[in-house]
Amino acid sequence: MIKKIQFNLDKRKTWLQIAQVVVAAVVVEATSFVQINLLVKSSRQEAALKANSVLSNTEYEIRDVIDEAEQAVKSNMWIVQWCMDNPDSLMSVTRRIVEDTPSVVGSTVALVPGYNKDLPFYAPYAHMVNGEIEELSLATEKYNYPIHEWFIEPLETGSGYWSEPYLDTGGGNILMTTYSRPVNDPHNVTAAIMTADVSLEWLSKRVGKVDIYPQAFSVLLSQKGQVLVGPDDSLLTAFTAQAAYDQVEFDNLKSSMLAGKRGVVALHTTRGISYVHYGPVSRTGWSMAVVIPDRDVYKDVRRMGIICALLQILGLAMLIYILFSVARSWMEYQQTKDIEEKMESELKIGRDIQMSMIPKPLPDRDDLDIAATIVPAKQVGGDLYDYYIRDQKLVFCIGDVSGKGVPASLVMTVTRSLFRNISAQEDDPARIVTEVNNSLMDNMSENEMFVTFFCGVLDLETGQLRYCNAGHNAPFLHTDHVEMMDVLPNLPLGIMEGMVFTGQELTLHYNDALYLYTDGVTEAEDSEYHLFGEDRLGHVLKEEGDAQEHLDAVIDAIEDFVQDAPQSDDITMLFIRYLKDNTQPAIMARHLILHNNIQQIPQLAEFVETIAEEKNLDQAMAMSLNLALEEAVTNVILYAYPDGIDGLVDIEAYIHPDCLEFIISDSGKPFDPTAAPEADVTLGVDERQIGGLGIYLVRNIMDTVSYRYEKGKNILIMIKKI
Amino acid sequence: MEVFIEKENNVTTARFVGRLDTPASQEVSQSIEPILNDPTGTIVLDCKEMSYISSSGLRIFLTIRKAAAAKGGNVIVKDINNDIRQVFMMTGFLNLFEIQ
Repeated sequence: MIKKIQFNLDKRKTWLQIAQVVVAAVVVEATSFVQINLLVKSSRQEAALKANSVLSNTEYEIRDVIDEAEQAVKSNMWIVQWCMDNPDSLMSVTRRIVEDTPSVVGSTVALVPGYNKDLPFYAPYAHMVNGEIEELSLATEKYNYPIHEWFIEPLETGSGYWSEPYLDTGGGNILMTTYSRPVNDPHNVTAAIMTADVSLEWLSKRVGKVDIYPQAFSVLLSQKGQVLVGPDDSLLTAFTAQAAYDQVEFDNLKSSMLAGKRGVVALHTTRGISYVHYGPVSRTGWSMAVVIPDRDVYKDVRRMGIICALLQILGLAMLIYILFSVARSWMEYQQTKDIEEKMESELKIGRDIQMSMIPKPLPDRDDLDIAATIVPAKQVGGDLYDYYIRDQKLVFCIGDVSGKGVPASLVMTVTRSLFRNISAQEDDPARIVTEVNNSLMDNMSENEMFVTFFCGVLDLETGQLRYCNAGHNAPFLHTDHVEMMDVLPNLPLGIMEGMVFTGQELTLHYNDALYLYTDGVTEAEDSEYHLFGEDRLGHVLKEEGDAQEHLDAVIDAIEDFVQDAPQSDDITMLFIRYLKDNTQPAIMARHLILHNNIQQIPQLAEFVETIAEEKNLDQAMAMSLNLALEEAVTNVILYAYPDGIDGLVDIEAYIHPDCLEFIISDSGKPFDPTAAPEADVTLGVDERQIGGLGIYLVRNIMDTVSYRYEKGKNILIMIKKI
Repeated sequence: MEVFIEKENNVTTARFVGRLDTPASQEVSQSIEPILNDPTGTIVLDCKEMSYISSSGLRIFLTIRKAAAAKGGNVIVKDINNDIRQVFMMTGFLNLFEIQ
């Protein structure tokens, strides 16, 4: 639950961060949008400036051409007037005009019909054909010059006139416009019309020169609305260029242009807006327009905007990618941390289990110095040790479960519980180990684990050590020298059910010690994988010290050896030093042999009475001893032998300096009274059982009671401290 | 060991003299048959002259106590010496009997 909330928090945080990036990106985009808008505005202004400069430049150039044409006509007028009487010379005049004036491609002086009686129709014409000047007459029947506009208009108005553009089929076969002007004789009678043809091909070179934008073009419109120069002959198609248009806008534009106005207008077409800058060309009555498609103006801006947007999208994508990477790695880190925490808690559980199994230290004793330690590895290895004192015997064990972690800890717990339960009723290490093995096999048949185990029972009175090894490291024995104990290897626990383990025995003397350990000690590794080993261990153990000091010395030696290398396995050690002076032989005080006849019990009372007198025991102690012995012996008399069979009970009493030891033996059927159920003395009258009081009294009166069956004899040893 | 049983009105008195060890208990278990047959009224177990008791002796006391409990009788243990009191204490018998 907690984890989930945490995750949601993380998610919210991540979304918040994403939102922040998005806002930042929007701000960046907005900035560039503003910049692009400014650029658009300035582009439009620049376009307007360019269009206007094209307009005025073109106007100036046209005016130059017009001035040149008009000037050529004007400057030759006097010659024409002078030549009127000699019309034959007029051809040379027209020829000179064409020759001298670059913009003029043709010229004529057409006599007004009837002015000269000899020459009613006369119009010599010189014009440029392929760079050569050709002379011909316009006074032909086919051309019939007096009907042409260029002739009629100036004649009627008496002033100069620019004709509408026309395709001069009779003359140069080129599109041209003609300036014509009447020539008066000295009597102020109009004698002729003099003209100068200006090629519109030439004009179109000038006017068409609008290279400010790729799609931009210009249109020159005559006073009657004819297209003089433009991409198309029709103004409509010229402007719309195959795109749809707004008729009203177009009509307004056209009328404004024909009215000689100056201005700018936006024309909507399907390809977008085109801006039309227009203005009159003075003196001609023509109007000129520069058309700039909007998309042309903004082409660069648009391209820049697209590049900017792409770059920003790229940048944003990178930002988001980085953010996601950071977020993901953060989440991965969090997950790793969770897993680590989980592992850590599992490790802790393992350690806690292990530590909870450690026995409480014994109260100080003068016959025993015992110390134990367990240093768990990070991942618990399942080491165990245990010891306790029962009936003046130290029962102890050490073990190492194969495997690591919680499973090993659990097997360790089971093993330790079995050891406690079984050793509570059994003090033969071989039988304890055999029983623990069988129970373990029952409990963990599916488990691959096994346990190396060493179990010992030390009789604190006699120094007799019985032990049984189940595949564990041989302990060290510390007498006047240090040596490895002689142990049978045997199989570890948990491998073969029904296996009978063999025990061994030796006697400890005053100040002898045992050192038990797990392989975490000898297999401690330094950083170069060298093992600590048994030799080093044996060397360390030779040093003097009490039990705890010995363990500390080993730990210090291991730490010195491994340095910084991590501990890979549990280190478990148990040091037991036997401190009872058992070298003096006990004094045998009395020996009594009874038959299995209950009537002989009073002899036992006398026997105890004499011992009590010898040791000057008080009445209460004497009676207690008597009671315990009677109960134990009665037990043998009543139950050891079958009914009607004569049998003996052997009672030995040993007097030690600080205790009395009674050994009761018989050859009857094997029977362990210490394993019999005890009476529950807390029950009331109704629940109270009749039997079971005897062994209860024995246990309560005596300090130590132990039983063993040996060589066909039941042997019960009872010790009472005095 | 000898046991003297007297019955006066509603009170049965069993006087134990000597050691109540295991062999003695086997004899006494027969001597107290009359009490077990009629465990009513007040049964006084007089231990003034009893010097010793074993678990089989305790068993006899418990048998009487159980019989009396079944018939509504009342058992009083009188004048036990300190050693025997120790045994009674050890075995929880102090809680089972009214001790005087």
